[in-house]
Amino acid sequence: MRKIALTICFALVLGLGGAAVPAYSQAATDDSLFREAKLLVFDKSFKEALEKIDELIDRFPSSPLAGQALFYKGECLSGVGGRERDALRAYKSYIKLDDAKPSLVEESEGAIVDLAFDLFADGNDSALREIESRLEHPNKVVRYYAAYKLSLVSDKKEAAKAAPVLSRIVESEKDPELLDRARIALLRVSPESLKSAEERKPRTVTTARLLRIRVRKAGMKEPAFSLNIPFALADLALSAMDEDDKAAIRKKGYDINKIMNELAKSKESILRIAGDDGTVIEIWID
Amino acid sequence: MDEHLEKHLESRAEAEAIERLLRETESVRSEIRQAAASVNWDALPTVIADRALVAGDKAARQAPDSRSWPWLAAFRMKPVLAGLAAGLVVGAAAMYLALRTPGVRDGRDNAYYASGEFLDRAELEMARRNTVDYLEKSQYVLLDVFESAGEGPVVPASVRSERARDLLQKKQYLNGQLERFQMAKAKAICDQIEMLFRELAQIDDELPAAELGRIRGYVEERQLFLKINLVKKELQSGV
Repeated sequence: MRKIALTICFALVLGLGGAAVPAYSQAATDDSLFREAKLLVFDKSFKEALEKIDELIDRFPSSPLAGQALFYKGECLSGVGGRERDALRAYKSYIKLDDAKPSLVEESEGAIVDLAFDLFADGNDSALREIESRLEHPNKVVRYYAAYKLSLVSDKKEAAKAAPVLSRIVESEKDPELLDRARIALLRVSPESLKSAEERKPRTVTTARLLRIRVRKAGMKEPAFSLNIPFALADLALSAMDEDDKAAIRKKGYDINKIMNELAKSKESILRIAGDDGTVIEIWID
Repeated sequence: MDEHLEKHLESRAEAEAIERLLRETESVRSEIRQAAASVNWDALPTVIADRALVAGDKAARQAPDSRSWPWLAAFRMKPVLAGLAAGLVVGAAAMYLALRTPGVRDGRDNAYYASGEFLDRAELEMARRNTVDYLEKSQYVLLDVFESAGEGPVVPASVRSERARDLLQKKQYLNGQLERFQMAKAKAICDQIEMLFRELAQIDDELPAAELGRIRGYVEERQLFLKINLVKKELQSGV
């Protein structure tokens, strides 16, 4: 039954469900409202979509779609702007439902974190508790995302609370995308935690090695650019270098990828590139 | 003072010894000045660095040939001059080490650090790469749906649903970055795809071919593949 309902729902969502025969008139009505609302969400017409969803919930409170409509209500309220608190309530109501779908629950939790982040940025200090409380969430998807977002808050003391979860990601996570995000987030909030986490990992070619880059402008004693990061972020670091510096390297005929491969292979080697304007770029690994 | 020296012979002998030492020291000083003047101090670090870093071979690390330092050989290693020479060697070695490991100079040699500006650039680069990756993986999932609607091989619905969920999780991280770095076009296409994945993620059972065909029609109608390819190319070329 659930499968059939989902299939019909999916067909309707795609706007091609005209051929589907409704089992009973109420289903047709709440289904059609739901379908219209989803299509409006797709087109980012949140205000109109919200009207459809409110109508569905008001007219058909016992509809099997009323619960899921709460999730989309949260989406609409997030989208219209200025109703973040209402959106937060809608998502929270959805995740409490017995028949809430796991994928939508995960999305709701993420949306709550995003909304709390925005509310905190707008001066609502208590909103941060929504993120902090999710640092211990049993679902690691939620836990990780909460830590990542917390690392981005402007209050450095609060942001540092994300460090333990981020460190665990660095130590145990295999997904390179998540790993890099956690590394960069830790570099922002607690570089020393990143170092400890990297050192606790089994040493491989790409872990526990330090990539250093210094760019010294002509006549300047202190480097204009200075960087110490895990070698695992080397590729990203070189891609993120200033365009002028990259141009200086290219002008000298160096291939960044080749440089990194060579440096990775030879221990404690140093590459020193002097630009025509007197800029000196030093790259080395140890 | 003179009276005291006349009366005490020991003191007089001491004073004469000090005078002799001062005279000798003065003569050595002039030699040091002469030696120091012969050194090009501005060029010395470059000379040492070039030998240490560019050559990189053992020959470059060997002690300099006395023939190339004639002023040093001329002094025949008198004690004070030996001190001067030792000072130069130690100084040169220190400079060699400083240039060989430049991080030592800023006192934070082993700590991780990167400026906020650099981290922003790194995140922008990460957003660009991850969006391209997200779009590519989305294409694969959508192509699978296309093949399912035709005669091609079918990935089990549970696998497809799992992939859709993974992509939804990735999209969550991308949302903030795409907004922050004002990548509006990429965000728009990613949002559209997200709606499809939200539906696919909820359906663990096989969809009838007719329904899959409808998804195909939906994707074609909105030219999602064309949009994905265009945005991908823009991102790959760094536009």
